[in-house]
Amino acid sequence: MNKMAKGAIASGVGVVLLVGGGGTLATWNQAQTASMGSIVSGDLNLEVNSATNIGKWTNAAGTVVDVKAYKVVPGETLTYTQDLKVTLTGDQMAAKLAVTGTGVNTTFLDKNVVVAPTTIKDGVKAIAADDVLTPSVNGHVVTASTTFTFKTSTDARDGAGAKSYEFGGVGYKLVQQAPPAPNSL
Amino acid sequence: MRTPRALKAAGLVLAAVVLGLLTVQGTYALWNAAVNSNAGTVQAADFRVSLTDGPTNTSMDMTLADGTAATIALSTTPIGVVVPGQSVYTGVQLGNATNAGGDFTIKAGAGEPVITDTSGSGVASLLSVKAVGADALAQCTSAALYAGAQTTASVSIAKNASKVLCFQVTLAGNAPGSLQGKSAGISLPLAVEQL
Repeated sequence: MNKMAKGAIASGVGVVLLVGGGGTLATWNQAQTASMGSIVSGDLNLEVNSATNIGKWTNAAGTVVDVKAYKVVPGETLTYTQDLKVTLTGDQMAAKLAVTGTGVNTTFLDKNVVVAPTTIKDGVKAIAADDVLTPSVNGHVVTASTTFTFKTSTDARDGAGAKSYEFGGVGYKLVQQAPPAPNSL
Repeated sequence: MRTPRALKAAGLVLAAVVLGLLTVQGTYALWNAAVNSNAGTVQAADFRVSLTDGPTNTSMDMTLADGTAATIALSTTPIGVVVPGQSVYTGVQLGNATNAGGDFTIKAGAGEPVITDTSGSGVASLLSVKAVGADALAQCTSAALYAGAQTTASVSIAKNASKVLCFQVTLAGNAPGSLQGKSAGISLPLAVEQL
């Protein structure tokens, strides 16, 4: 028997021994599950609540108007309202809801129109840009509103014909605030 | 010259750190969600009033395209002459031709008439003018319409409706015969305001 054959047999014996002793190597041991459960993320979302108010303009009489076709005259006030659904979950969740952008006065004279800053209300409670919202408002439908007034003091034919005020840039943003405990990740 | 192995490793680590920072820079932001208002554009209505002379059916806007006030010549009935003690009549129809989305009622008024002699005719002092509001031009020739009328008058006109301002021009009964063939001009200032 040459050296190669002797070596192969020795390795085979060694392996057989290891397999044979597999159940006998353990000493006492005990296992426990960690019961850590699962980590579930919270949620943050802001969406138009189309079920109640997808966004509409009304005149002073409360009549809904199609702003694409509607023409305003001095003395009129138009109000835009829109319902927004807030989703805010998470034990440490905190967020601020703010209005982004403003209307752009394209051709009216500044002296002839007044546009009140957009406000957001949760029921009757106004939400300021600095207010920190918590999950207590989760699922709430808040209402944003903007008013445009064509002033009665408008004189002569100021603002008559083809003057416009663009509100397309107005939006709303819900922004999470950092949790109280610093988290460097 | 060969770059030391340590230097290569340091360069590799630096590149990895920079790449890592660049990769994660977008994750520093916290959650946020935005919605656009889609509020659109508010547009102004037009303030447009049309003037129509009945007999000639001449019509024009009260404000011309260049922003200046229009002047419309009114025809009288009967056309041409007025004899002492009698009257001629005329009227202008005013239309509220706005494109306002809501209510838009206007008040159109005729101010004090300005009567001027033509070439020193001397007729002006013997002419008097009464004004009154009406619904249609055809009513202007009714003398009864001017009972109690003043020199000025006004009418309210709803959106897309029209009304008429009628005028009665009377030559005094004591006008001398020397005024035959003489003439005078009567200017009636019209003003319209939003109610």
